[in-house]
Amino acid sequence: MGYFLFRRTISFVLTLLAVSVVVFAVMNILPGDPALSILGLDATEDALAALREELGLNEPVLSRYLHWIAGAVQGDFGISQSFRVPVSELIAERLPLTVSLAISGMVVTVILAVALGVAAAANHGKAGDWGIMFLSQLGIAVPAFWLSILLVLLFAVKLRWLPPGGFPGWSEPAAAVRSLILPTVALALVQSAVLARVTRSSALEVMRLDYIRTARAMGFSRRRVLWRHVLPNALIPIVTIVGLQFAALVTGTIVIENVFYLPGLGRLIFQSIANRDLPTVQALVMLFAAIVVTANFIVDLLYLAIDPRLKARS
Amino acid sequence: MIEAAGLTVDMGAGQAVREASFVIAPGDRIGIVGESGCGKTMLGLALMGMVPDAGRVSGSLTIDGTQMVGAGEAIWQKLRARRVAMIFQEPMAALNPIKRVGETVMEPMMVHLGLGRDAARARALELFREVGIPDPEARLRQFPHEISGGQRQRVLIALALACDPGVLIADEPTTALDANVALRVTQLLVGLAERRTMGLVFISHDLAAVARATERVMVMYGGDIVERGATEEVLAQPRHPYTRGLLSARPSPGNMRATGGRRGRLPTIPGSVPPLAELAPGCRFAGRCPVELDMCRGERPPQRGTMICHRSEEGA
Amino acid sequence: MTRLPPNLVIGAVLVALVAGTAALSLVWTPHDHTLLNIRGKFAPPSELHWLGTDQLGRDVFSQLMVAARNSVAVALISVCLGGVIGVALGLLASAMGGVVEDVIMRIADIGFAFPALLFAIMLAAVFGPSLMVAIIAIAFINIPVFARVTRASANQIWTREYVYAARAAGMGRVVISRDHVLPNIAAPIIVQATIEFAIAILAEAALSYLGLGAQPPAPSWGRMLSEAQTLMYLAPQLAIYPGLCIVTAVLGFSLLGDGLRDITDPRLVRQR
Repeated sequence: MGYFLFRRTISFVLTLLAVSVVVFAVMNILPGDPALSILGLDATEDALAALREELGLNEPVLSRYLHWIAGAVQGDFGISQSFRVPVSELIAERLPLTVSLAISGMVVTVILAVALGVAAAANHGKAGDWGIMFLSQLGIAVPAFWLSILLVLLFAVKLRWLPPGGFPGWSEPAAAVRSLILPTVALALVQSAVLARVTRSSALEVMRLDYIRTARAMGFSRRRVLWRHVLPNALIPIVTIVGLQFAALVTGTIVIENVFYLPGLGRLIFQSIANRDLPTVQALVMLFAAIVVTANFIVDLLYLAIDPRLKARS
Repeated sequence: MIEAAGLTVDMGAGQAVREASFVIAPGDRIGIVGESGCGKTMLGLALMGMVPDAGRVSGSLTIDGTQMVGAGEAIWQKLRARRVAMIFQEPMAALNPIKRVGETVMEPMMVHLGLGRDAARARALELFREVGIPDPEARLRQFPHEISGGQRQRVLIALALACDPGVLIADEPTTALDANVALRVTQLLVGLAERRTMGLVFISHDLAAVARATERVMVMYGGDIVERGATEEVLAQPRHPYTRGLLSARPSPGNMRATGGRRGRLPTIPGSVPPLAELAPGCRFAGRCPVELDMCRGERPPQRGTMICHRSEEGA
Repeated sequence: MTRLPPNLVIGAVLVALVAGTAALSLVWTPHDHTLLNIRGKFAPPSELHWLGTDQLGRDVFSQLMVAARNSVAVALISVCLGGVIGVALGLLASAMGGVVEDVIMRIADIGFAFPALLFAIMLAAVFGPSLMVAIIAIAFINIPVFARVTRASANQIWTREYVYAARAAGMGRVVISRDHVLPNIAAPIIVQATIEFAIAILAEAALSYLGLGAQPPAPSWGRMLSEAQTLMYLAPQLAIYPGLCIVTAVLGFSLLGDGLRDITDPRLVRQR
């Protein structure tokens, strides 16, 4: 077990490093001259020189990378070109909203997907199963942003139950929660489509196994067999997909924030693109990629908790 | 006490069990033998109310006086583990891999008998001792993958005994085990049945194990119980052509002589068990039987004493 | 003949519909999709304008047809680009084994840390948003996907008798990869490509919606939706049609992919 942990940790750190190299290379080496990218072709030579100096572009690439990564580890991502404040401040301001959206989205996704997937498996081949599978097939094909627009059309434009977008700030908790309902639902409905399918097929796979027959032979109710015996064993592939879905969740959060005009990191990244604010974009891309990598690392650790066989093997 | 009369399991494609009638009284040890695909396991599942969804059960089956044909899942759930319990072929796969074996054995006691955790653990420990698991305290806390196949089968037996059932159905309990482990598990089952005056249904294609484990035997082919009787008599003097074929197919010094002492092939029954849909409507064995008559394929054979066959004894 | 699975049939029909529309738009649309008519803006559906007109009086149906062409083109280019590179890397990894295989697959793992959107964001920040950015980003995320599928399938082929025979006959790894491995793993790669096609259409729509893909005036379902969103109170119908088009296309390709997998993967058939 110790060896497994050690190996996974090493590979986690190496992956993070590799990701940072890719991000740095794309943002700094690909454009040739980042100062030119930021200021545009009509910038004066003086302005370019000043910006190069400010961004440290006159130093060799390697030392710029090391400087960036050393700062990033300590939470220092440099100064935003457009806001003229440290990028870390921008992030700290907007992080709570993005994290709230991502977590509420994930929680609703998992609850919805596991409930639907297990229900479909329990009714395998019957109408309920077909219905759930049809909805999930449809859900996979529906883009999150279109679903969001439809939700806004229905609940904000037509019924006027919920706000169509925007965020009042945490000082008004009730209004803040209300404005997160539609984004959360939009995020979760799309995400749970894939997860419900995985849950169903994983549960069906487990239901065929001998130890489920043993449990039935012990006179346990269908409900008990399903939740106490099938589901815990079906969790392993479910957890895997939840981890893989973190990439989709990150994407989804960025998109949804832009659909609903929520001032989170996803909005910030698009404002920064529009403003050609490379240091901010670079920091945010690195942050999002790091979240994806970290999520996969946590999933690996979760395996250990779920499956005792793995502990023995490693 | 289980009484079956004309018990039939229809799988749609054909009858997996056809009009089986028998009685299992407390302390009875009954073997069911036959090749795979003959309906042995399906008969066992029928006694548990666990026939697959596609199967239809008809005839009569009473367990301790209650008619179970047509009974709903809820009624079956009350009987399983408490009146009838079953252990399955593959001890490797029959235990929940992510539950400690102690927890697995405790669960039915807590669910069905309303025992608390401590009481259930104490009983599980007792059961582990009874089925001969060494160092039972430590075993309780282990996972299935941490113990050997023989130990796992013992855990499964302990699980089946958890609610003190009147009848234990053991489906090929020794097939997946090494020969000497199999022998000890067989002895354990016999001992348990005797001590607890528990009915034992021992399903196996291993005639030697059946001979050791049981007093009476039923030979199944194509869903029919083609021959039955005291185990010793049936194995010593098989009357039905299928039973004879089955007995001559096992290795023994006699077989070797029959092939002239060479390392020849064992005599086998020609052909294999056909799928349900292709079984003859009359005698199920028609088509493979060495002494077949014209009538066999179309007409169901009568019960002749301990077997069902168109041939009288002398003709066979 | 055995019956085809329903998802294959429905998927094929939807794909044919989308592809047919895209092809037709090359030679014919009911109207010129760029033709402005400010006086006829927000027209309801009529015989003249089947799905009405947009905020600039352009024919919505014609725009949707041209957008189908753009969408299919982006998906086709990016999946082919990513697929060719990914398959080549997968074949290489499988053929070489050892360190080469490890390194290639590790790099592929890193690729999985970047959703297409993140990659597109980086490229858009550096080069400015364009359709090319969307194509490259989608192609990029396809590389590790194809590399994995190819390697996994190819590794099974390398243990087959006929490959041993070819090696015994002195054939090189490249030749074996081309003549023996590739033809035998075509099925899973085609299945994957079909599914990736669906994902690519979805990704293109999302990127265009966010302004990182197709730029005006090129019609794109995603961009039409982002414009419609600002007009939700005026003309909610404009937010419906492009979404339906995306769902039709994505559903078509993903059902087709599922269906193809069902008929080509013997393991799955047994489970039914």
